[in-house]
Order: sequence, then structure tokens, then C-alpha cells
Amino acid sequence: MESFVLKADDRGYNKLVSVGGPASYIAGHPDAFITRRSSFNFGDYQTGHHGFGKIRVFGDEIFTHAGCGYNMHPHHDFIIMAFILSGELTHINTLGKVDTLKAGDYYAFSAGSGGKHCELNINQEDLHVIYVWVLPDMLLLPPTYQRAHFNSIAPRNKLVPLVGGNSSMPIDQDLSISRLDSDAPGTYEYKLKSPNHGAYVFVVEGSATLDGVLLGKRDSIGVWDTDRITLQTGAEKSDILIVETIM
Amino acid sequence: MNDPFARYLCLGCGFLYDEQMGLPEHGIAPGTRWKDIPDDWVCPDCGTPKHRFEMVAIPYASGEPEASASNTF
Repeated sequence: MESFVLKADDRGYNKLVSVGGPASYIAGHPDAFITRRSSFNFGDYQTGHHGFGKIRVFGDEIFTHAGCGYNMHPHHDFIIMAFILSGELTHINTLGKVDTLKAGDYYAFSAGSGGKHCELNINQEDLHVIYVWVLPDMLLLPPTYQRAHFNSIAPRNKLVPLVGGNSSMPIDQDLSISRLDSDAPGTYEYKLKSPNHGAYVFVVEGSATLDGVLLGKRDSIGVWDTDRITLQTGAEKSDILIVETIM
Repeated sequence: MNDPFARYLCLGCGFLYDEQMGLPEHGIAPGTRWKDIPDDWVCPDCGTPKHRFEMVAIPYASGEPEASASNTF
């Protein structure tokens, strides 16, 4: 088994303000700002991991103050996913979709042959959101937008497929995302799809032990060259994302 | 000299540079190799510098690239 551990504070950090040079990109009043913790190299953060399997961006972001966000901007090919942790995201895209997403909601916007989107927090309450960008398995696919909801109450203490694999949200890549909301001690064995797959495990809240490695809030681990991983939780309420990807 | 043409993806936004097609609308002729593009060139869509592109071996979707050639996003 191969692995790397990424502690919460060792991730990249950017504070993006809505004045000066970035004003055309960052929306909002002059006091609006976005903080971004990057698990992988992105933008000015280039001293970390290049990515993991087909993941290129894993951004843990907070949009502060009403009107804050990313103005309409173009993408190609990346499958961009957003998982809302708290607050409310207004998403607008060139497929004609205007969507409002709250805690538990998530989307997958496959930019394919070209699309633009705008991401806004129009409320006073901070928006906490995790963005995941994935390479597709074909270039210039027709753009698509899908959205769904993760109910953190009903499936508690059970791994729930959100994206790809056995989920209701297929994507054009050999990659799947599952989420576990736990409030009781438990052991979860996760069998990888093949020896060529790896898993990136991110602790959103609480803590967990992954193959003997204790992970706290916002810590993560990448694991590959193994056929399964074992996740252990305690009594503490914990929220964990597992991204399985072809390496 | 006869290396196959390669494709490079912008890690800032996904913009694609295909050596075979070049970017005639940006003054880069078809067939221009990645190494022959100036080091100070940036992504025309998002400004990401050339060194933050990644070479990709991902195939085109059926009918592409021609089907979306008029797409100017």
C-alpha cells in the first residue's frame, strides 16, 4: 500500500478579495472575500501534490459576505462538482440553469466542449462549499449539469454513493464519490474497484482512522496500491468524503 | 520530428491546446509544437501561465473536435 497524509493546515491557502486585480473574477462588495484551502496544486499554490488519480482540484472554500463569489467565467472539459456544507450557493450556467443549493445539495457541471458558470453567495451567512475538479475520460463532450441531495439524517452510519459508480449521478470518468455521516463507533471496509484504483479520503467534520492513521477535521489521506481500505469512526459526529479514482 | 501531436490542458480552466490544430485565432499556426510556444504565453481564457498546463492523453468524444469548432467559450 502507498499513501500520503495531508494535514488540514498543510493545504494551500488563498484569500481572494473582490477589489483590485481579481475584481473582474471575484464578485461582491469591497469587503467580500473567498478563502480557499487547496488539497492539490491550484493557482498560486504549487508546492503540494499535483492531484490524485483523475482529481486535479479539491478546494475547501468559504464565501464571506453577501454577493461574494466567482463572476461568470469559462471552462472546458473539467467535471466541476460542488458539495454545499452550509449556507446557500446560487449557481448560474450557460446551459440555462439557475440553481439554488443548500447544505447537503451537490452538483456536477461537466464543461465539455465549453461552458461558463457563476457561483454566488447572495446571503449574509457564510457559504461553506467543497469544489472537486476531475478530468473527463473524453475531450469536448456535450456539457451537462446534474444536481442531487445528500440527506445526512436518513442514511446515518452508512456509506452513501453520491457521484459515479452506483450513484444516481453518472459522470464520464472512472471515479466515484461517497459520503459517510457517522455518529456511532463503526468499522467500514471499502473495497476498491481494481488494483489500479486509489482513494482520497477527506474528513469534513469530526475524525476517523483510516488504515491506522488518525485523521482530524479537514485532514485527508490518499491511498493506492491496495485492494481495500478500512475506515473506523468513534462516537463523535463525523462527516467523511471518499473519492475513488482510477490512478 | 515525427512525434505524434500532443494535447495540453489548462489546469486553471480546462482550455485545450492541441498541437495539430494550433490556435489560428490567437496567431498560433496548426502544427505548432508546445515547446515552440513562448514561455510567457498564457491561457487565452483565464490567464494561467504556460507551465501550468498538463499534457493529456485523453481521446476526443465522437465527432469532435469538428462538432464544436464554432464554440467560442
